[in-house]
Amino acid sequence: MARSNEVNLNECKMVVPLNTWVLISNFKLAYNLLRRPDGTFNRHLAEFLDRKVPANANPVDGVFSFDVLIDRGTSLLCRIYRPATAEEPQPNVAELEKPVAAEVVPVIIFFHGGSFAHSSANSAIYDTLCRRLVGLCKAVVVSVNYRRAPENRYPCAYDDGWTALKWVNSRPWLQSQKDSKVHIYLAGDSSGGNIAHHVALRAIDSGIDVLGNILLNPMFGGQERTESEQRLDGKYFVTLRDRDWYWRAYLPEGEDRDHHACNPFGPNGRSLEGINFPKSLVVVAGFDLIQDWQLAYVDGLKKAGQEVKLLYMEQATIGFYLLPNNNHFHTVMDEISKFVGVLVHEAHVPVAFVISVLLSRVRVIERNNEIREAFCFLFETTE
Amino acid sequence: MVLYDDSATLAGSCSGSGSSSSFSSKPPPMQQQQQQDIDDLLAGAGYKVRSSELRKVAHRLERLETAMVNSPADFSQLASDTIHYNPSDLASWVDSLLSEFAEPPTYPSEFIMDPVTNQTVANDVWTTTNPNMPQVHQNISYEQQSLNNQLTVVTAMEEDSGIRLVHMLMTCAECVQRGDFSLATSFLKDMQGLLTRVNTVCGIGKVAGHFIDALSRRIFQGIGGGSINGGSAFENEILYHHFYEACPYLKFAHFTANQAILEAFDGHDCVHVVDFNLMHGLQWPALIQALALRPGGPPLLRLTGIGPPSPDGRDSLREIGLRLAELARSVNVRFAFRGVAASRLEDVKPWMLQVNPKESVAVNSIMQLHRLLGSDSNLNSPIENGS
Repeated sequence: MARSNEVNLNECKMVVPLNTWVLISNFKLAYNLLRRPDGTFNRHLAEFLDRKVPANANPVDGVFSFDVLIDRGTSLLCRIYRPATAEEPQPNVAELEKPVAAEVVPVIIFFHGGSFAHSSANSAIYDTLCRRLVGLCKAVVVSVNYRRAPENRYPCAYDDGWTALKWVNSRPWLQSQKDSKVHIYLAGDSSGGNIAHHVALRAIDSGIDVLGNILLNPMFGGQERTESEQRLDGKYFVTLRDRDWYWRAYLPEGEDRDHHACNPFGPNGRSLEGINFPKSLVVVAGFDLIQDWQLAYVDGLKKAGQEVKLLYMEQATIGFYLLPNNNHFHTVMDEISKFVGVLVHEAHVPVAFVISVLLSRVRVIERNNEIREAFCFLFETTE
Repeated sequence: MVLYDDSATLAGSCSGSGSSSSFSSKPPPMQQQQQQDIDDLLAGAGYKVRSSELRKVAHRLERLETAMVNSPADFSQLASDTIHYNPSDLASWVDSLLSEFAEPPTYPSEFIMDPVTNQTVANDVWTTTNPNMPQVHQNISYEQQSLNNQLTVVTAMEEDSGIRLVHMLMTCAECVQRGDFSLATSFLKDMQGLLTRVNTVCGIGKVAGHFIDALSRRIFQGIGGGSINGGSAFENEILYHHFYEACPYLKFAHFTANQAILEAFDGHDCVHVVDFNLMHGLQWPALIQALALRPGGPPLLRLTGIGPPSPDGRDSLREIGLRLAELARSVNVRFAFRGVAASRLEDVKPWMLQVNPKESVAVNSIMQLHRLLGSDSNLNSPIENGS
């Protein structure tokens, strides 16, 4: 934390609503407790403190969700959010994977944030965000519960994202009626944005079409200390020290921040010229200390001749999209729905299925379900 | 690190409650009033904070951050050693973390109880000139301060007594185990004295009070003879049930034993469980249920329960067997029960168990075998005798 702590605290209190300030400050302090100086992470405490919510197959505000194990080997889970239809207001278990009904249904694969170490697909903040996206874009969202650092370093998160992409692409029930193909978008915030980029990269030449990337405050970096990093260090919830910690936790040991995962257009990056890369919508917050890297990313895409739209939200801090209590939130949400809707040629309801595939690392106790039931029975027995 | 979360579910992977759009389902009627004041947006993020308290929570978060920055030593302690209460109740969570710091209050206008009595700091606060404060205010602040001092003294003493109680309890228990009852009795007297200085309604005082009672009963029965189980059979059954519900240890032992038994019985159609101490048979409903659900259908299950003869003419073994049989019938498991009454395990001979050569047998012994070890060096233990 920089000197003149009080000055810092006061500045950021002035630019965000009070409840946002409370939420993000709470995260900041809790996360401080979790990162150990030796590079390890207090995962037990992290899971305890993280507010989680279960999936709910009963529609709430027109959205229902269910969890799916998409890869047994890595226990990769994703949470799927779908809009409840007028005909089927109360879907039953057999109909969770009923084919999507519209001509064109966008499916958004969402990667939650958390700097590669925090949060899960079933974190309350991301469950809420995904549900909003469904309602907003009339989409199916697949939220991926990818493996996190420091227990699982690069490239685990990208591998999981790739697995999810292949899975989504191969679901017949997600195919749009018009062309019997799945209309896929990749989206993510913070580390999730970084993952979205790299998964899109992997999809090139694979035969899987990604129609667009939506990157919210994507997490990029590099060895150099940029002007924005120095100017904004510690001022709006985030410090350079914590950014460094998370990169050290995610990148392979011994690698520096010019590794291509962190710095895709840096010295070790791959050129995207002439490549069939999806169009991108990149949202940058004016009070995010890593904005120079995010802007460099946008430049990199432009220089490679790729289609990219930048939304620079001057007065926004990190996490502004978590609570719908500010203008930036609504601006960005509008842009996202336009971004996803633009490929809907039919005048039909642009039911974009935003599938946020949240890859979860869950200890799946597959066998012995009977034992678990028996155990529960034991609690209920009053002998 | 101790974790406590009253909203944790059995499954473990979800610590919130209710559906994703409402934080808590079915609040009790008296909390409705407070419920309406909860900030909706934070509720969607999994946190329960009253709108009216937002500013206060924000203030506390700031102080926590300052404290974390200013005392890094305490901070790493905080990270590994704190008791964390329900994180959804943000106000309490922040407060509990704040109380872990020895940091004196930084704002003279706030009167916060400092768990570590620091006389000089208190004086500084009093003598800090604060031109904005009117004179009247300062007089009040003096009284409040001295009251605070008294309160902080009590708090420190209480904490101290609590810790000493714990140490004394441990030492006393060791004395009892060694059989040194006179020393244990003197500890008892000291502990009862300490008890008067702590709050026995809750917390360490309450726990210590119960343990002191139990130890004294143990000591005076040890000296004067007589059985530990002074209560009636009915009382003991109730106590046992409470213990079973409240503590995970026995349940877990039963759970793992049942799992092992289930695995061993896989593929066998005639199975026989011998329970070295049936007690109230609480281990067996789960096994019966699990066998009922196993793929391929349940086997024929025989249960032989060993236990002491009932003192008051009841056949408690048979009663338990009947209840288990009833349960088995309700889940369509063919079941047969035999009770073997014996006051000591070593009195039970293999022929009493009537093991059929064609059946698979599991012997279930939960905390029985240690009793067969000799406690008196003169006598040979039953195990050594080879019974």
